[in-house]
Amino acid sequence: MLAAAFADFMQQVVSGFASGGIYAALALALVIIHRSTGVINFSQGEMATLCTYIAWTLTFNHGWSYWPAFVATLVFSFVFGLATHRIVIRPVERGNVLRVVIVTIGLLIAFNGFVVWQWSGEPKALQSPFGTDTIDVGGVVISWQDVGTILVTLGIVVLLWLLFQFTKLGLALRAAAVNPEEARLVGVRVSWMLGLGWGLAAVLGAVAGMLTAPTVGLDPQMMQPILIYAFAAAVLGGIDSPLGAVVGGLALGVLLNLIGVYVDFVGAELKLPVALLVIFVVLIVRPSGIFGRPEVKRV
Amino acid sequence: MTPRQKQLVGFVAFAAFVVVVALLPAFISAFRAQQFAFVGIYLIALLGLNILTGYTGQISLGHGAFMAVGGYTTALLMVGNEQFGQTGALAIEGGMKDVWTIPIAGLVAGLVGLAFGFPALRLSGLYLALATFAVAVATPSAAKRFQEFTGGGSGINLFGVPELTAGLTPVEIFGRELAFNDWLYYLCWTVALVLFAGAWLILRGRTGRAFRAVRDSETAAVSSGVSLARYKILAFGISAAYAGVAGSLYTIAITFVNPDTFPIALSIFLLVGVVVGGLGQLGGLVFGAIFIHFMQIEWAQQMDAVVPDFLPIIGDIDTDTPGAPALAFGAVLILLMFFLPNGVGGIFRRAGQALTSWRYSRGA
Amino acid sequence: MRRLPAVVAPIIACAAALILLPTGLAGSSADPGITATTIVLGGTSPLTGPAAAYASVARGAKAYLDSVNARGGVARRTFEYKIVDDAYNPAQTVQATRQLVESDNVFAVFNSLGTEHNQAIRDYLNQAKVPHLFVATGATTFGRDAARYPWTIGFQPSYQAEGLVYGRYLGQTRRGARIAVLYQNDDYGRDLLAGLKRGIARSTARVVAEETYDVTAPDVQSQIAQLKASRANVLAIFGTPKFAIQSYVFANRLNWRPLIVNNSVSGASNIMLLASEGGKNKAVNGSITLNFLKDPTDPRWRRDAGMRQYRSIMSRYAKGANVRDVYHVYGMAVAYETVSLFRRLGANPTRAGLMARARSITSAGNPFLLPGVTVKTGRRDGFPIQQGQLQRWRGGKWVPFGGLWSSNRL
Repeated sequence: MLAAAFADFMQQVVSGFASGGIYAALALALVIIHRSTGVINFSQGEMATLCTYIAWTLTFNHGWSYWPAFVATLVFSFVFGLATHRIVIRPVERGNVLRVVIVTIGLLIAFNGFVVWQWSGEPKALQSPFGTDTIDVGGVVISWQDVGTILVTLGIVVLLWLLFQFTKLGLALRAAAVNPEEARLVGVRVSWMLGLGWGLAAVLGAVAGMLTAPTVGLDPQMMQPILIYAFAAAVLGGIDSPLGAVVGGLALGVLLNLIGVYVDFVGAELKLPVALLVIFVVLIVRPSGIFGRPEVKRV
Repeated sequence: MTPRQKQLVGFVAFAAFVVVVALLPAFISAFRAQQFAFVGIYLIALLGLNILTGYTGQISLGHGAFMAVGGYTTALLMVGNEQFGQTGALAIEGGMKDVWTIPIAGLVAGLVGLAFGFPALRLSGLYLALATFAVAVATPSAAKRFQEFTGGGSGINLFGVPELTAGLTPVEIFGRELAFNDWLYYLCWTVALVLFAGAWLILRGRTGRAFRAVRDSETAAVSSGVSLARYKILAFGISAAYAGVAGSLYTIAITFVNPDTFPIALSIFLLVGVVVGGLGQLGGLVFGAIFIHFMQIEWAQQMDAVVPDFLPIIGDIDTDTPGAPALAFGAVLILLMFFLPNGVGGIFRRAGQALTSWRYSRGA
Repeated sequence: MRRLPAVVAPIIACAAALILLPTGLAGSSADPGITATTIVLGGTSPLTGPAAAYASVARGAKAYLDSVNARGGVARRTFEYKIVDDAYNPAQTVQATRQLVESDNVFAVFNSLGTEHNQAIRDYLNQAKVPHLFVATGATTFGRDAARYPWTIGFQPSYQAEGLVYGRYLGQTRRGARIAVLYQNDDYGRDLLAGLKRGIARSTARVVAEETYDVTAPDVQSQIAQLKASRANVLAIFGTPKFAIQSYVFANRLNWRPLIVNNSVSGASNIMLLASEGGKNKAVNGSITLNFLKDPTDPRWRRDAGMRQYRSIMSRYAKGANVRDVYHVYGMAVAYETVSLFRRLGANPTRAGLMARARSITSAGNPFLLPGVTVKTGRRDGFPIQQGQLQRWRGGKWVPFGGLWSSNRL
């Protein structure tokens, strides 16, 4: 009896990790955009959805096999992110913060509209690169799709770390974000760095979308519920920390599942308000999140 | 122009506006009067949001949630929640006439806003936008969950409830009979104009200067003795109260409230309306309100008229093409941010400056 | 004291206006919306927003009406069908409906979609005596409360009736069934659940677990895991297509193979094919659902006359729309019945006449409904369609079994 209850509990934990992996993937994109440009991109989810549809079109309409489509989508997303930054964000990024917010919201509406226009609202399926097989560990079922998602996001964290710590490009990216004026003085092409940041974030978003779609289903609204959870994960882990995004996402997934199942008052319906509460509590108690560095405001 | 003269011009403009508002229903159809009533409701919400965002510099993407608080307060005060099976301490007895619920709704929403102001102190700029966005998204879920209190997804239907003035029969007021649409129009615009004057009074005084100081430079404000906390929280409270009144009127006008009547789209539109109308201006807000109302109802229908047919690809779209109107709307929003950074109100201000500086330069 | 005038002025101005100005009451003609050459119908539809997938209901109806117009219309009048977007927001529905009634002067409000949306406008339309015809929702109240709302009538089988059929079927065929239910936390999900419970009331079947979800949920993994943990052997999915597909995917991942009962809203073949994950997901096999429409993706109807008509109308009057979307078929089915009503009304239609006919329909042979399904209303029967066919998913398609179920005889 106890063993069964424990297995059920562990199953919830495992599905929490699975959901959390999805939040983490999108959170990574949010973190990179914020870290490289200081912007919170409300349209991140829609950009990810659009890129995922590109992958779908390549595999479904044009018969490409998965991995070539995957790579092609990444290339597309990079260009897409870069172009969006150059055309839409650059004119407004140095002005009033409010203008930037409205512009990213305009992008959200426009990208969503574009997806519905081109691909209709009918649900579609994107295959999973990890197959649909599962492993059974003492009554607890773990799917390769979920394991793969978590491994990929962790792998990306490592790659990003390598990029930022050990390459000149990474250094330039960090400099452009932290102190654009001085970076310019030492020869960093700041606006290209910012564009690169957007391109990189778009690639991460596309990866997030392609990992999410096999589980959740591909439709134009796919990323919208996930966006808030991704924000919560990013805030929890530290809005400038990729590792924080992943840890935050996984922790949030498990936390929401367990609260939803074992706290009767909350139930499954209040997961979103709980995520909201997490955002609030973190921003008040420790705004820099688990892995972030506290920001000191200089007068 | 001396400040005195500016004020005089302001007064005259306002008086002219009041006259126009008062006379308008005689010249338009009853249905249009109802549409303009909604413009008045949005104006109230925008006035509040403007105080918070335009004058105090705090971004809120969640004002729809404060409207929802006002709307639900009004509905519950009129109907009570015994019908949902709730007994005990949380039971609300209904039976209050709809107009009297308006100030209470404003008060309740204002208190919620004040409470929200405390944690919001720690957030600024984008983080505040993010947090308020999350509030607006989460509020419908919470309303659905606590259905013993709010009527859940089915909401609260007010039509036919005796405390509601609305209906298809004319309303009696001051001994005269008034069509429902006209009554709604006058109710909304009376409240709107009163609150407009109220906002003007708040903003021209010390409070307004303190708000602006907080927006322009927090360090300077603190060093001149302006308590950041007090004014930020106050701004939240006032703007939430305005939104609550707007929400209350909205519910009275729609005669229905449920979690979907105040979606995240509304919060987004409110912020857009304030920016398009012109941050920190009062005059442009009327345009912001008109913008919101007609964008919500008319955009999909009127897209055909707005987008020229000769534009390749885009010219082919109409209401039958799902998604295309939204794409165009997003694009228009972005273009507005490029070319009208100060909104419509900004155009007025610049036009006004051009006029007055012309006077100056003539050496008159 | 100097501050007073600013606040008082607007109040005085408006009071003065009220006292001094003439006011007109909106007059209403006998039956607007009818001219010598047109019948004006209007309705709201979620063209934008979260429920944009259901806009096909209105589009299908419009396409059918356009095709009828092309053949001369009814009694020499053509139909003008105004579809107004309400973005699935009941506040917009109210405003849009008032616009249709007071500004566009429609003859009838027809095919408006959404449960709360129609509830929000029902009182207004009944008080204004405007026909509130064939509302596009299965909430039971629209058929049950006909006495109180004589101007309102639904169309599709109610969700409770559907749940009732599933309950009876399970009660009769599965002794001691242990049923786990995933339901959406709104009237649609709850109605289905309530119907199911009534259906199993006098049998040995039991609902052993219920899990709900909000439409804002990204996924329902946690709920499916909980339902599996209840050791149920039947899973009822009372949710919309996205969540139905997820349920199949997660049940499969968890190696859980209950008998799955899927609801009609999510039962279209293209949804089932997506859920079957290219054939790799075996949880779909043996699923049952209740259906009353012909599904355009079902190979059974490839040569069917009604579906050929459907496809030809779609290609001529709804170019670019997705032919595989079953909601278009629903729209055509309801438009077909509406046109029949107007044919019966004859040369001088009145609103009261329309409702009287709507409450006395006996119609068979709707080309878009399953064969044998009739449309019938009466003085004590406010539900036009009460029949459905159970079908089982086998070999990548739906296979009907048993006869038609009539929920009013259960």
